[in-house]
Amino acid sequence: MTFRTWNILYYFFVWLSGLLGIALPLGIGFYLLLNGGKILNIAFLLDRPHGSPLGSEGGILPAILGSFSLTAIGLAVALPAGIGSAVYLSEFSCSARLKSFARLLIESLAGVPSIIYGLFGYAFFVLLLQMGTSLIAGSLVMAIVMYPIILITSQEAFDAVSREYREASLSLGIDHTEWIVRVLFVKSFTRILAGVVLAVGHAMGSAAPILFTAAVFYSAGGIRLSQPVMTLPTHLYFLVSEGVSFENAFGTALVLVIGLLVFNSLAMILRNNIKE
Amino acid sequence: MKWDKDLSTRHGGLSARDRIVRSLCLLFLVAGVGILILTIVYLFIESGPGKGFPYRVLDCFTGEWQPLATPPKLGMAHAWVSTFMITGIALAISLPIGFGIGLFTSEIAPLIVRRLLTPSLELLAGIPAVVYGFFGAVTLVRWFEKVFQLSTGETILGAGIVLSVMMLPFIASTSAEAFRAVFREYRESVLSLGVDQLTMFRRVILVRAFPGLIAAAALGLARGVGETLAVLMLSGNTTAFPDSILSRGQPITALLATEIGETAVDSEKYHMLFTGALCLMLLVLLLNLAISFLKKKVYGTLYAS
Repeated sequence: MTFRTWNILYYFFVWLSGLLGIALPLGIGFYLLLNGGKILNIAFLLDRPHGSPLGSEGGILPAILGSFSLTAIGLAVALPAGIGSAVYLSEFSCSARLKSFARLLIESLAGVPSIIYGLFGYAFFVLLLQMGTSLIAGSLVMAIVMYPIILITSQEAFDAVSREYREASLSLGIDHTEWIVRVLFVKSFTRILAGVVLAVGHAMGSAAPILFTAAVFYSAGGIRLSQPVMTLPTHLYFLVSEGVSFENAFGTALVLVIGLLVFNSLAMILRNNIKE
Repeated sequence: MKWDKDLSTRHGGLSARDRIVRSLCLLFLVAGVGILILTIVYLFIESGPGKGFPYRVLDCFTGEWQPLATPPKLGMAHAWVSTFMITGIALAISLPIGFGIGLFTSEIAPLIVRRLLTPSLELLAGIPAVVYGFFGAVTLVRWFEKVFQLSTGETILGAGIVLSVMMLPFIASTSAEAFRAVFREYRESVLSLGVDQLTMFRRVILVRAFPGLIAAAALGLARGVGETLAVLMLSGNTTAFPDSILSRGQPITALLATEIGETAVDSEKYHMLFTGALCLMLLVLLLNLAISFLKKKVYGTLYAS
């Protein structure tokens, strides 16, 4: 083959991969929409699972509520911890070596598979601290999953605030606390929010950390800290693995994907605002 | 000097309130990092360290899994083999396409297509693993049953293909970063010599971006070995040793997810499962450290992106 042919093949391959990158999410999205669209209605969102086997009829309300409460409680723990740690690293830490060591450690741990945190949560929260399979145990594991993401993104947000603001603010005679609250948080707000949305979206979709710390196939009771909950991802997993109902599984998957789509678009819009 | 003290210069310009805030933030950092370190330590404790520990680690990688036999055999060789077969297949598919996407976004794509591709990849990364597992179960698994005449369509190959889609955005964005950095530096000078895109890519870009591409592959590997729900739903979850890419398997994460809830605490099986988890985590941590190191090589500084 001549040189020119190879060059054309190169262009062809690169274009093909690029278009595949666009086609894949669209394809998956449309496939779910076509198959799950017909089951998705208000009743599906606002009803409990019914039928025999359980889950083959009815809706997914307890799973939606469970997912939200799990992430909300997790976020209530992870958000102050993550932002506080980031403030320490970028404002108060004197030693550059400590800073880069902490970052290395946290980035490495952010990549640890979430099933590992699930196992840890099972051994530590559920068994050792005797919380049992419960909302609180699952929320704490979710907090561990979200913490490194929030820390990393808020530290990047703080680092992106210009040094000149810091020097100008501090030279006006205000103390560090005032600078952090009145200037740093305000200037980095959008970026932090984008990071938090990212972390929440990630946590809400993951089933591995809560599979044996918080999730049950069916919970009749309400949302209580000491009780296990249903969640969207684990509900989908149980529906498919037990072969209960593929129709309802399509509906659940669609709700999950649309919910996360809204979340991720929010993060994307926030990030685009920053660039402009 | 009286007001020297008021300005509290001796404390690096921190007011009393600042010092409280600093302590509070330090407390958060110590607690957060402490919990993360506790994860490793606690996995180690639960894996039953002591006299039998080295044997258990060896057994974990080499032995058979027959927990109901007498005496029970608790090796996880089949799981590690499944994990690496699935991840290998996924990487083999995902690396070329991911690098292609990286090249596309960093050099070849027209601006409009690039604007469309970036959010598409973010969407792909945002789809939860369990949805990928479900999607694979209703498409690939059913399709494999017909095409390969299998009794169940759950195969190592199917799990690998779905995993490759899940890895794609991470490999694409990491390699795009590396390509972009190198293109920025060399594009003008190389193209002014009159060479075409392919030669520029082969002779300059590929060579200079190589550590970044290795980092992308390592990231894919780290994601792949730790992926749980999708492979749990697609691999067939059987404890038999996988003998071809069309047989069923059980990756280590699927084994952990299946067994841990039904295992008596502090039994030999329980310790074995945590040994497996510990090895998996150390493997991923090692890969992540390698990624940081390789990125440092590409960008010069450790955390610039």
